[in-house]
Amino acid sequence: MTADTEEISVRLVALLPRLRRFARSLSRNQHDADDLVQLAVERALRAVDQFRAGANLASWMFGIMKNAWIDTCRARGRRAEVALPEDSGEHPAVSPADTDASLWSVSEAMSKLPEEQRLAVALVLVEGMSYKEAAAVLEIPIGTLTSRLARGRSALATALSEEAPA
Amino acid sequence: MNYDDETLMAFADGELDELLSAEIASAMERDPALARRVERHRALRAQVAGAYSTVLEQPVPERLLAAANGSAAPTLTGAPQRRAEVLQFPARTPAAEGPRWGTREWAALAASLVLGMLLSWQFIAPSRRAMVTASNGALVASGALARALDSQLASTQRPEDPVQIGLTFRSQDGNYCRSFTLRRAATAGLACRSSGEWRIAVTAGIAASEGGVRQAASPPPAVLSVIESRIAGDALDAAGEENARLGGWDPKRN
Repeated sequence: MTADTEEISVRLVALLPRLRRFARSLSRNQHDADDLVQLAVERALRAVDQFRAGANLASWMFGIMKNAWIDTCRARGRRAEVALPEDSGEHPAVSPADTDASLWSVSEAMSKLPEEQRLAVALVLVEGMSYKEAAAVLEIPIGTLTSRLARGRSALATALSEEAPA
Repeated sequence: MNYDDETLMAFADGELDELLSAEIASAMERDPALARRVERHRALRAQVAGAYSTVLEQPVPERLLAAANGSAAPTLTGAPQRRAEVLQFPARTPAAEGPRWGTREWAALAASLVLGMLLSWQFIAPSRRAMVTASNGALVASGALARALDSQLASTQRPEDPVQIGLTFRSQDGNYCRSFTLRRAATAGLACRSSGEWRIAVTAGIAASEGGVRQAASPPPAVLSVIESRIAGDALDAAGEENARLGGWDPKRN
């Protein structure tokens, strides 16, 4: 049984805050993050017949967002996969709403992670998924997820302690 | 006993089996250095999760609401009469969609949902026949939901009716209330009569089962608790329900 587009629409509206949070953990630029949500939502509504009724809509959406994000990064010539040099003068736009210092410093540290580690951290630490769920979204074995997560966490901890020594 | 960092991380994330978890927990009591390593994992997790939680509280941009409503894609696949069956008030998503969510996140979601519902259904797609609309700051039933609440009897309804009526009862202020289930939208709720309208007191998502939504035998806990807080006496039986309908749901009649 395939779910109906209308019903998915209603549930997607409900899911938007979480999709925005996930996107924001992938991209520290709010505008880029919302572009990603929009792209993923449009793709999802075109592929509603692939959504199995009873499946977890959030997981399905995160998978679509992961693919859309990788496509976007590739289209930008993999720029997002390398950390920006400290003095490159290239600072992604930060909206005035981002005066939240904690969000700023954590997204700064997240943006330095390799894409594959950032995806693992975003799903487990930000979205609260189990390792099994996150591995399924990323289509990788659970052992691979665990090692990416461990490396991402270790790099995050280092970046955050350097930035704000306790 | 020495544990590698991945094991401690998995422990901090609650991913280990009970046996190993218990072993590490007792090792932590004897070994402060081990306890600190675990604490660092927990602290980082809390810091990262906390930082992004503010995003949930931000208003959702209209362009995203429009995209989720399919406004950008003008392909209309459903027949018009099917559209009327769709719930347009998503108050809560089923718990399965939000693993390990805290109260704060649910509250943020609920707040953004009301906003999203108002924006999307009042302004973006006003032509759709909403089942719930806003009226003077309250949410009231409209369309197919209002018709079912007005006229459908639990004793005579058919299982395939899009709206299923559950209990009908008098609330403590004397007004009639009716619980309902919207099958396709996997949502249950309670509506109470006020000033000639059915005001929505609560809605909640219900777990879907294979092949569609489970027939609602009993309302979800969120709805049930509101029913329990409002009900005066017992729910009406079939005759009482029919009498109330004949009286136009006017609390002064009957």
